[in-house]
Amino acid sequence: MSVSVNDNSAKVSVRGFLAKYSVLIAFAAIVIFFAVATPTFLTPANLFNVLVNNVVMLAIVALGLTIVISSGGIDLSVGVSVDMASMIFVMLLAAGYSGVVGVAGGLGAALIVGVLNAILITRLNISPFLATLGVLFIGQSTQQLATSGGQPIYLTSGYAADQFNAIARTALFGAPTPVIVLIVLVVAVHVLLHRSVFGRYVQAMGAQPGVAWYSGIRVPRELSMVHVLCALLAGVTGILLSATVKSYVPLSGNAFLLDAIGATFIGTTLSRERKPSVIGTLLGVLLLAIVKNGLLLVGWNFYWQQVGIGVLVFLVLAASFGLRRAAH
Amino acid sequence: MQTAKRDIAVSMTGISKRFGPVRALENANLEIARGSILGLVGQNGAGKSTIIKVLAGIIKPDSGSIVINGETVSALTPASVEKLGVHFIHQDRLLVPTATVGEAVFLGHEIGLGPFVSRRAMERKAADLLKRFFGMELPAGTLVKDLTTAQQKVVQITRALAQKASVLVLDEPTAALVKREVDSLFDVLRRLRDDGIAVVFISHYMQEIEKLCDRVTVMRNGTDVGTVDPRQTPIDEIIAMMIARDVGEMFPKRSVTLGAPVLEVSNLRLAGSFENIGFNVRAGEIVGLTGLLGSGAKEIVQCLFGLKTADGGQIKVEGRELSLSTPVRAVRDGIAMLPEDRRAHGVALGLSVRENISLASLRRYSRTGMVSRGAENQAVDGLIKELSIKTPHRDALVRELSGGNQQKVAIAKWLSCQSRVYVLDEPTVAVDVGAKVEIYNLLNRLAGEGAAILLLSSDLLELVGVCDRVLVVYRGRLAGSFSGPAMNSDALLAASSGARSNVDGVAA
Repeated sequence: MSVSVNDNSAKVSVRGFLAKYSVLIAFAAIVIFFAVATPTFLTPANLFNVLVNNVVMLAIVALGLTIVISSGGIDLSVGVSVDMASMIFVMLLAAGYSGVVGVAGGLGAALIVGVLNAILITRLNISPFLATLGVLFIGQSTQQLATSGGQPIYLTSGYAADQFNAIARTALFGAPTPVIVLIVLVVAVHVLLHRSVFGRYVQAMGAQPGVAWYSGIRVPRELSMVHVLCALLAGVTGILLSATVKSYVPLSGNAFLLDAIGATFIGTTLSRERKPSVIGTLLGVLLLAIVKNGLLLVGWNFYWQQVGIGVLVFLVLAASFGLRRAAH
Repeated sequence: MQTAKRDIAVSMTGISKRFGPVRALENANLEIARGSILGLVGQNGAGKSTIIKVLAGIIKPDSGSIVINGETVSALTPASVEKLGVHFIHQDRLLVPTATVGEAVFLGHEIGLGPFVSRRAMERKAADLLKRFFGMELPAGTLVKDLTTAQQKVVQITRALAQKASVLVLDEPTAALVKREVDSLFDVLRRLRDDGIAVVFISHYMQEIEKLCDRVTVMRNGTDVGTVDPRQTPIDEIIAMMIARDVGEMFPKRSVTLGAPVLEVSNLRLAGSFENIGFNVRAGEIVGLTGLLGSGAKEIVQCLFGLKTADGGQIKVEGRELSLSTPVRAVRDGIAMLPEDRRAHGVALGLSVRENISLASLRRYSRTGMVSRGAENQAVDGLIKELSIKTPHRDALVRELSGGNQQKVAIAKWLSCQSRVYVLDEPTVAVDVGAKVEIYNLLNRLAGEGAAILLLSSDLLELVGVCDRVLVVYRGRLAGSFSGPAMNSDALLAASSGARSNVDGVAA
């Protein structure tokens, strides 16, 4: 029995490896291109910058969206969760509260967004798209009302503020602290989504909600958990963002939405089973971050960067399909 | 006969069609004459609906020729077939529910000027046609969803007549109708035949075929095995042509000693659907449940799985009273459900065989919320072997499996759960004959192991062949309970349609 088990898993992993390999080729090509095109790209300072500023925060938001998209839904309000966590965190620190209170308050604010989404979707049976779109609108207005039309809140130097900023900018165990946070969250979400009972239920709801319901799965409860988790992860990004820039800028969280959705779907396309996965999403985030940073260093302006990203996404996906077909 | 020969409206010869490894049609022929009603019968999977879909231009045949009104046609599309005057009344209502009667009748052939549609003209003409053909009068602007099923059928037929149909194909048109509506539909069809229209009538009900049809073509295993005159050929003979094997072989016999009641239902009531429903299913017993669409039989089954919440009454499993408000409760209380819509509710096509089988019982294979793949794999491999599910490996997607094997995966899901009560809702629809026999064997084995089985089916032969006892629901009430020699398809059909009841049997 155990022999046949090994046979199957070996076959699966070889095919999975081939699919991943094609992505690595594309990655390598892009990295080599930028390394040749610009001398600064491969410097440690730049890579550190890419990781901390372009990868970590986006990746954490994308992890949450990976869970939601796996469940067959969408969360358009992740930016609001980012902003709300950021806003409450900064307001609490600015009012002199300790860092623990600030973090708890920030995550609490994100939690409220998640619970609101969950109620709208599971109790009122509003489709995830419309429910989270409504929350997006409400959340944006709320921020503008709370900040007299969108004024940023800056953290003047103080104990907790400086401490967080220092944590965000220094290294722990030889890696930047935000990167450590990301690694912990990636492992946690990977285990949750791909190894746990909850993850299996999420996949089932995403594959065929009727079957999940007919199998005795408490679909509303699991779906609520999905949306709460997504909002909390976005909240973590909000706190990291504020700690890094020592301020809260209203509506800055929305910038993550499309990139995070994009990264998740790139990951979906690259995976063998065409399902969202944590590893795939991470690859998608890395791809977007490298391309963005590389084009910036090459000297393209912001608008042409967007065009470049679009074209590169197409090229990478086309290459991945081509290589996969050749491998078969 | 000579004139009939010259009056062939549609002639399909040598039609073959494969879907992957499945041979849906093999050298099948169908000849439809003008001014006559042709019955088309055969078991599910015999190829009836496939050959009709070929004629409708929905499925492209691999080979064979089709002649419509003397012209050989190739590359049929649904639109081109309609232009040739061949119209289909499909089993599912294919009307836009929010359309008005006028819009439904003239859908695709709107009356108007250029891009503008004249709603009023359509309503008026539709009303004229309905009155002229069927003597039916509806308030102007009535919406399709507000019509009864029978009225919707009539609207569909009117739509075909408005397009000057010369051939009319009806797929199970009486399934949702009560007897009076069936009679008036038959009158309409006879009138159309007398006007020279070719009518094809597909039905499971032999009595209807006998009553209505001039000829009947029998299909089996993807080919036509004969065309006979139903008035001169005994029904048994036609059924024998359909099955072509001993019914005893199709429905494996078993001998089980029945145990204590496992499922006890008493006084169950759901407003607008059924009332005063009470029955027991004992350990090892297979009880059939049948009734026409709208009889309430379906809703009873839904209440037993928590899909609908009964308004009153008791459901007990092994003596414990249950409150079934959701499937979550039902599954926890040991009730398993094999839903009719397998693709929407039974198996997730995009998940693997393993993920599907363990879905309802993951708690068994997990510790502290984490799935133990070793335990899961072992259990899944055991079930794949036990049910001889034909799959390349346990991680193959269920989408890649045949219908019968998908159904076995759906059953394996509940075996993994060790459910006590199995509620099956039309488990052999769209399953080929071989897999059917395997499913029947499986039911027998489940019963043999002491499970209580409730089988909702509209296939009367299946009910007679498989069940120890069959309950018939008519208009929301138990109209009969049949077992032993009294359990035959004629009696079941009569009780389903309210013609005969066996209420004495219910008490037993």
